[in-house]
Amino acid sequence: MSELLTLEQVDQDGAIREAAERVEGDSRADFLRRAVLFGGAFAGGGAAVAALAKPASAASRNDVAILNFALTLEYLEAAFYTEAVRKGALSGRTLEFAQIVAGHERAHVAFLKKALGSAAVARPRFNFRGTTSNAAKFRATAAALEQTGVRAYGGQAANIDADAILKAAVSIFTVEARHAAWIRHILGQAPAPRAFETFLTMGQVLAAVARTGFIVAAPPFTGKHT
Amino acid sequence: MPDLITVAVVDPGAATSEGRDEENAASRASFLKRAVVGGGTLLTGGVLIGGLPSLALGAKSAAQDVRILNFALLLEYLEAAFYTEAEARGLLTGETRKFAKVVGAHERAHVAFLKKALGSAARSKPQFDFRDTTSVQSKFQSTAIALEETGVSAYSGQAARLRRQTLPAAASILAVEAEHASWIRDIVLRKPAPRAFDKALTKAQVTNRVNATGFIVG
Repeated sequence: MSELLTLEQVDQDGAIREAAERVEGDSRADFLRRAVLFGGAFAGGGAAVAALAKPASAASRNDVAILNFALTLEYLEAAFYTEAVRKGALSGRTLEFAQIVAGHERAHVAFLKKALGSAAVARPRFNFRGTTSNAAKFRATAAALEQTGVRAYGGQAANIDADAILKAAVSIFTVEARHAAWIRHILGQAPAPRAFETFLTMGQVLAAVARTGFIVAAPPFTGKHT
Repeated sequence: MPDLITVAVVDPGAATSEGRDEENAASRASFLKRAVVGGGTLLTGGVLIGGLPSLALGAKSAAQDVRILNFALLLEYLEAAFYTEAEARGLLTGETRKFAKVVGAHERAHVAFLKKALGSAARSKPQFDFRDTTSVQSKFQSTAIALEETGVSAYSGQAARLRRQTLPAAASILAVEAEHASWIRDIVLRKPAPRAFDKALTKAQVTNRVNATGFIVG
């Protein structure tokens, strides 16, 4: 999971980032074809493709793609924290963090699903590979997920078309930043390690998520949206 | 400051000629090159903006970006002066002392960035009187929470009023203000993230809060 935070280090020649930049430059209509970056997660991808073919009435196709991108990250976070709380391996400040943040991430999922309506992508299946049943692994993974969330929302802010959607995204973005600082504080790391936050493109985030191996299956295509 | 956020904040000439897709697709090298070019035009940009006709109220424009960034600069001047004075007085202890030192450096970096972005359009620094909030630990802590929360709400309230090319720089500061708020709240054992969705404030609401502190004296 630590690789989420070390993209710049592992990608010293910039190859991944260059690829991501090219992906970002593609037409928005091609967004779902990019879901292949999930490492086959959307191999069955019918549900997701069908969803984007029918964007939420008020939102542009571009905004639907960004909201579905955010929804995928929120599904991941919500499932991670919910499972960690349920497994019972956490205690003290870490448990309090997991309980509160789980509630926030589920609220973000609910909000985004409602905003997207029938255009919402279905929830993938996850395998958190032991990170929800070990407190130390949980903390390291939570720090990486929250940092990635901040960089993902920050990276998309200027790509959003509708002001109302941007305002909603910003209200989630700052909460993710609070989570990131909180878990770093619990870890004994600097809660605010720099004066300016840096962001990631959608392609960079998708590549980082793919490398975690947490998304193990696309939702089954049932012909209807969740 | 990191090269990722050295965007040409005040760059009215380039505003309409470049679509965001083109910008996204641009190589990192050319992005940085453009940032350098943008930096060179800042001073001129500030002058030009002063002469622009006023546009429809609320419409996104270079002139509105300047007003918003000057509003942000006022808040950053306030925060930077508060933390710098608290550190200089040397009466804080423990992690609170460390918080003041780290966050003071961040706020000074935000001031420097905004001043550079605004060029000659940047407002001047007011005079402040923080009374005993920079010397009494408990008062410092509650004031720091109030200032950081106000900062988060203020930037959040302006985000959707900025042009696309200005938004990333503001967002890169906003995230850090939220981190500060989370940190100081955790130090005093208040919930670092008290709600699932943060609230935004209008410029008028923020101005009222700032005025109510009495910290700006001239």
